[in-house]
Amino acid sequence: MLSVLIWIPILGAAIIGFWPSGTITANRVRLSALTLSGLVLLWNLFILFKFDITNPGMQFQEYLPWNETLGLNYQLGADGLSILMLVLNSLLTWIAIYSSSKQTERPRLFYSMILLISGGVAGAFLAENLLLFFLFYELELIPFYLLISIWGGEKRAYAGIKFLIYTAVSGALILATFLGMVWLTGSTNFSFDAVSTEKLSTAKQLLLLVGIVIGFGIKIPLVPFHTWLPDAYVEASAPIAILLGGVLAKLGTYGLLRFGLGMFPNAWSIIAPTLAIWGAISAIYGALIAIAQKDIKRMVAYSSIGHMGYVLLAAAASTSLALVGAVAQMFSHGLILAILFHLVGVVEAKVGTRELDKLNGLMSPIRGLPLISALLVLSGMASAGIPGLTGFIAEFIVFQGSYSAFPIPTLLCVVTSGFTAVYFVILLNRTCFGRLDSLAYYPQVLWSEKAPALILAVLIIFLGVQPTWLVRWSEPTATEMVSAILPIDKTVISQLAVK
Amino acid sequence: MDFANLASQLNAGTILPEGIVIITLLGVLIVDLILGRTSARWIGYLAIAGLLASIVALYFQWDATNPISFSGAFNGDDLSIVFRGIIALSAVTTILMSIRYIEQSGTALAEFIAILLTATLGGMFLSGANELVMIFISLETLSISSYLLTGYTKRDPRSNEAALKYLLIGASSTAVFLYGVSLLYGLSGGQTELNAIANGIATAKVGQSLGLVIALVFVIAGIGFKISAAPFHQWTPDVYEGAPTPVIAFLSVGSKAAGFALAIRLLTTAFPLVAEEWKFVFTALAVLSMVLGNVVALAQTSMKRMLAYSSIAQAGFVMIGLIAGTNAGYSSMLFYLLVYLFMNLCGFTCIILFSLRTGTDQIAEYSGLYQKDPLLTLALSISLLSLGGIPPLAGFFGKIYLFWAGWQAGLYWLVLLGLVTSVVSIYYYIRVVKMMVVKEPQEMSDVVKNYPEIRWNLPGFRPLQVGLIVTLIATTIAGILSNPLFTLANNSVANTPMLQAAIIVNTQASIITTEQPEAL
Repeated sequence: MLSVLIWIPILGAAIIGFWPSGTITANRVRLSALTLSGLVLLWNLFILFKFDITNPGMQFQEYLPWNETLGLNYQLGADGLSILMLVLNSLLTWIAIYSSSKQTERPRLFYSMILLISGGVAGAFLAENLLLFFLFYELELIPFYLLISIWGGEKRAYAGIKFLIYTAVSGALILATFLGMVWLTGSTNFSFDAVSTEKLSTAKQLLLLVGIVIGFGIKIPLVPFHTWLPDAYVEASAPIAILLGGVLAKLGTYGLLRFGLGMFPNAWSIIAPTLAIWGAISAIYGALIAIAQKDIKRMVAYSSIGHMGYVLLAAAASTSLALVGAVAQMFSHGLILAILFHLVGVVEAKVGTRELDKLNGLMSPIRGLPLISALLVLSGMASAGIPGLTGFIAEFIVFQGSYSAFPIPTLLCVVTSGFTAVYFVILLNRTCFGRLDSLAYYPQVLWSEKAPALILAVLIIFLGVQPTWLVRWSEPTATEMVSAILPIDKTVISQLAVK
Repeated sequence: MDFANLASQLNAGTILPEGIVIITLLGVLIVDLILGRTSARWIGYLAIAGLLASIVALYFQWDATNPISFSGAFNGDDLSIVFRGIIALSAVTTILMSIRYIEQSGTALAEFIAILLTATLGGMFLSGANELVMIFISLETLSISSYLLTGYTKRDPRSNEAALKYLLIGASSTAVFLYGVSLLYGLSGGQTELNAIANGIATAKVGQSLGLVIALVFVIAGIGFKISAAPFHQWTPDVYEGAPTPVIAFLSVGSKAAGFALAIRLLTTAFPLVAEEWKFVFTALAVLSMVLGNVVALAQTSMKRMLAYSSIAQAGFVMIGLIAGTNAGYSSMLFYLLVYLFMNLCGFTCIILFSLRTGTDQIAEYSGLYQKDPLLTLALSISLLSLGGIPPLAGFFGKIYLFWAGWQAGLYWLVLLGLVTSVVSIYYYIRVVKMMVVKEPQEMSDVVKNYPEIRWNLPGFRPLQVGLIVTLIATTIAGILSNPLFTLANNSVANTPMLQAAIIVNTQASIITTEQPEAL
């Protein structure tokens, strides 16, 4: 069942990539990629529908022995942590393909790379084997590099290489940690349940955990390791930015939750205070830098850093409420970032600039882009945490869950949430409001271009009003993950108290 | 000594694969003498058939009950079989590449193939050589043929210079090796067989004497030259740039595999007493090779030079397995060399194809190639990405196994360095991919703008195409469907008594040394 999610896109990528050139137009390639990803999305919804929300463990498990010498097995499973991410992945892949231009240059390579990424990300979320996870994790590297550096903006070569190197370093760190986890525990298998790090001394656990945090921190990205993000997001074309921000960043937070919290509950509670402060700093930094930006895409890119900081805070707090909040925040951030990047892409395509100083009065009903501006206002509000939209729900759960554990960082994040509103108001004020330049004459926005944003907007509002659908999937898993921590947590604290 | 006893001592059946190569070699020479240039159309295929027959013969040698032959001078154990197979396969691919290349350079194909087969023969014998004289003779057979091959396109001054440089360095390093070997002979009280040397040194109670250490260092100088480990690598970039490209393909895989075969056999059997020392030396070599190979490769503009530094770096990775010295370590070396065969030869086939069509191998000239030659772009990208260790290609699994074995043996820093330098390597491998794939049509180089129409039916292009596609497919799927190769590598190590004995000694020693820190 789950294999379909991985292999349909990958096989589709192979077929599209090797289809004889000249026999197929760009639009046909796009349509076939769209159909494939649509099928995957439907299948994913079907799985979501079959998902048993009372079961905290892995569901729909699949197992195939692969390479015994390396301890690498083809072992899949989905739980509350991954099921929403899977849906997000296939939804955003579909939207990314949908929002791509009908006249994309070199369409076969473009769409096969997107499908390859989609399959790879699904594989990483599903893998129940460290090495298998790593394999799928590294599979994203080259396709994203090509997507940024072929179809990107002006400085795409620089952005592509920067992304490549940062991600490769992150991969190297993660692999080293995985090898360490497996070998130090004396396990012969990379399977999740074969690796139990409890036997290790606290120092070793901490060392490995730091490797995990930095490795995934580059991908999330957390503040000192984030410098690839603005370049990559800004230089990437809109569909690629949607995938980068919506999906790839989630791979980082997912890795942090699954491998950091899930596998080192003991050491996690020791570094949790640091992580909470780190998350708060990351959030504040992202928000403050975003205020200073003059380019709307850059602003959205930095907003992403800020919002990922909340996930780190929630993960650090690791109460069951905070974890549910973390998953909800990952999902809603994926939706909001996707709609923002899509709208920014539309604005750039129609107006021809992303500069705050040049944009003005897009709200103007006849000559402007009224619906796009309205949606931009809506998604800016969603991102800033206005009630009634999914962003508020997720952030509120995060803050509610984290306050009991780390009040100061939580308060700092609440303040940041205010800053988020500040730069989105700046953004909206400079773009949507004001007077339209009298010379402005923008092309019509087609319905097909509005559709993805409308779908996302409906989802954002629906989940904001009916948040059960956002949180019900991850509750049992979060509770179980936390219950794995608590007893150890107390012993550690008592040990520390004795010292 | 009666005849039956003599026959069993000789046990000449073990060298049947080499016998087939010798017959092919003579066949090629004689046919060339009788028919002259007219035979050039099919003589390559004759040689390939011979080599394939030799590989089939190797298959039947697997798990031979009595691998020791020629009174102990040659050991046809499973380890040697895998290495001989790698060398023969690399010769097969090299011939596929060279049919057109040599024709175009206006030199005789049959002579080239004859020398190449001699080098193959030397390498194959070296893989199983179990006695000092035998080792030296096969090493020289390999080396002398390599010098000749390097300078084969004798009208090209670069080829001449490369041959001279290779000859001078090669001959001196063989002399150093010979001095080390002669010291071994003296230290062990006149033994030339490897096992007897170990016993001889043990009974002579020289222990870890200075003489043994000097012998070790001298021997390593010879081995390091063959596997082009830094700091014995200086010949590699110049030779790779000057020599005919098919020769480089052979040197980078066949000759290197022979060097590693020699390293395993000689170091584990003759130097058990100084195992810590040679591991230390090889750690230094591995660190230097990984750092130097990968960092200097960043600054190259010629494709062949870049692959030269890359091959230095790859030797550094393989040495991790040798230093680990465990079952997994040795079999990860074997596995890596097997996949290295596919990916490197795939890469070199692409380079030959490109230089045949355009006459250059500068990296900058590749820009915009995807439009004119998608197959070449795909194959070169896949092989370079595989060399960089990108999943799910063969090279990724090879590196994972090496690192896994290294980590298992406690070589944490070495593995971490390997990981870091892998990241560096991705940068220069991707640079070529970027040239070919990412560049816009208007950024196309002049050479690519005038790219000739792709025609596979020109004489000698068909074998190139076959070689390209086979190695490309192998590079792509040898990782995913790696179980047979893993089994092959693991079994060959597990079935080799020599290694098993060495590993037992080694683990006993390491238990003694590691128990103390554990107690602390």
